[in-house]
Amino acid sequence: MTDPGGLRCENLSRRVGDRCLVDRLNLTVAAGESLALLGPSGCGKTSTLRLLAGLDPASGGRILLDGQDVTRQPAGQRRVAMVFQSYALYPHLSVVGNLNLGLEVRGVAAAERRRRITEVLALLELQGYEHRRPAQLSGGQRQRVALARALLREPRLMLLDEPMSNLDAQLRDQLRPELRSLLRRAGHPVIHVTHDQQEAMGLADRIAVLNGGVLQQVGTPQDLYHRPVNLFVARFLGRPGINLIPDEAGVQLGIRPEHLRLVSSGGLPARLRRREWQGAQQLLWLETARGELLLLADAGLVLSDAVEVSWRAEDALRFSSVSGERLQ
Amino acid sequence: MLMTAALLWSLLPLLCQLLTSLRTPEALVLQGAGAWLEGWTLENYRLVLQGEPPFWRYLLNSCLVGISTTSLTLLLAIPAAYGLQRQRPRWRSALSLALLVAAMFPYVLLFLALLELARALGWGNQLLALALPYAGLSLPLAVLLLQAAFADLPQELEDAARLEGLNLWQRLRHVLLPLLGPAIASTAILVFLFAWNEYPIALTWISRADLLTLPVAMARLAGSSVYAVPYGAFAAATVLGGLPLLALVMLFQRQIVSGLTQGAVKG
Repeated sequence: MTDPGGLRCENLSRRVGDRCLVDRLNLTVAAGESLALLGPSGCGKTSTLRLLAGLDPASGGRILLDGQDVTRQPAGQRRVAMVFQSYALYPHLSVVGNLNLGLEVRGVAAAERRRRITEVLALLELQGYEHRRPAQLSGGQRQRVALARALLREPRLMLLDEPMSNLDAQLRDQLRPELRSLLRRAGHPVIHVTHDQQEAMGLADRIAVLNGGVLQQVGTPQDLYHRPVNLFVARFLGRPGINLIPDEAGVQLGIRPEHLRLVSSGGLPARLRRREWQGAQQLLWLETARGELLLLADAGLVLSDAVEVSWRAEDALRFSSVSGERLQ
Repeated sequence: MLMTAALLWSLLPLLCQLLTSLRTPEALVLQGAGAWLEGWTLENYRLVLQGEPPFWRYLLNSCLVGISTTSLTLLLAIPAAYGLQRQRPRWRSALSLALLVAAMFPYVLLFLALLELARALGWGNQLLALALPYAGLSLPLAVLLLQAAFADLPQELEDAARLEGLNLWQRLRHVLLPLLGPAIASTAILVFLFAWNEYPIALTWISRADLLTLPVAMARLAGSSVYAVPYGAFAAATVLGGLPLLALVMLFQRQIVSGLTQGAVKG
């Protein structure tokens, strides 16, 4: 068998007492690929990250990095780097001190350390901040220092725990593409954890949705959005959320708000309850005989109170209302 | 206003001692008018410092005991506190409770048993042997204080260091201890103070005059004569005995204050 490269976990589990934080997780991430672990808080995404880093021991299953089983290897020897949510910079050390400590401890020669630190400072545009302490840096700069420290680890796997959650919205939008291209150029397999679907879609090639420690679906953002395997994934992705309409016995229809359209006749009669202007579009709350529906319409559209809605059959996803699984 | 009262309440006796130490015995007895103008002297200090053995000898003894107690305590308490902090919560609270009980136990009740121990082991009149019971008695509180300080450090900081390949000793040395400086300084001062002030064990373990620690030496000085209480000399000894502590506190003032007022790390 050829060496697949990157990360592969097989039936990876972590149990604490009788609680199962991660349940038989199977994932692969190729070198240069970026995967987002997405889910609500408590879904097991941070537990998964800590397992992969070696910070917590696995209760079962295997972790393979570049084909090598590292499941029992201590965190310090795995060559897995992590950018923490708080960035976890050493507060008593300068930027250079933060970057230098790990290299020095790993026995890199002084001249080599200097060369690599200069290089990574240039890469992340941190020149001029070498001697600042973390407390004297902005949130974005701290994130870059944490990233620089992780890159200096020359990791076989790069982990990012909610890397954007400490930044304000504007900075986030600005940094997301930068971070993505930087990670892509670095060429490590990347896993990043987030509860923010926009961040997941902006940073990742593929998204893995977790719920209650169980992997629901892995796929491209488009896959997950258009072909969710179950109700959980369908509801978790997309803002505003998907409309669920009871259909024939035991079946629920899922229709994205942008797939509902207003028609002049032959549709489902609805009353307009509320509208929210969102710039290019407006969000409408409609009351119908089959429940409340959200509809995303053109902002310029002038409406009366009584309307009719309709949808194309191919835009309606069919879910079993018993199991939540999508029906073909 | 209240602050001034509190300051006076605690500092006035010290001031009185300082003044007393600088006056002749006659001036202390006669309190007539003009007594403030005369009767000032350094004779008390000369008397104390040239005693047999000279007073600095006791200071030295106490310093030696204090420093070895503090070093021994920190050497054991830092790893113990780290270990305690890394225990599962249920274990940790049980152990903390046990430590608290030990820390609150009135150790005076132990001194007879300790004396028997010293006799059996031949530790009588061994100055540095005092550091053993002192460190033992200081450890519970020191471990609790340092454990609370470790608990204040974010877990992610140590995780980051682990991922970088730092082993336990390197994490303590390069990441955790530098951040615990203030907590270590305040704990060290508390331990040193205990060793400096301790009386019953020092009294019973040490009988050779040149090995006495400060509190015991002071007590001997005060009780040396039935008929005359050497107030002046006693006050001079008090002032001299207080100076090293004053120096210590001033030296570590910044760390102690920041240890008391500010959380260990804020990002």
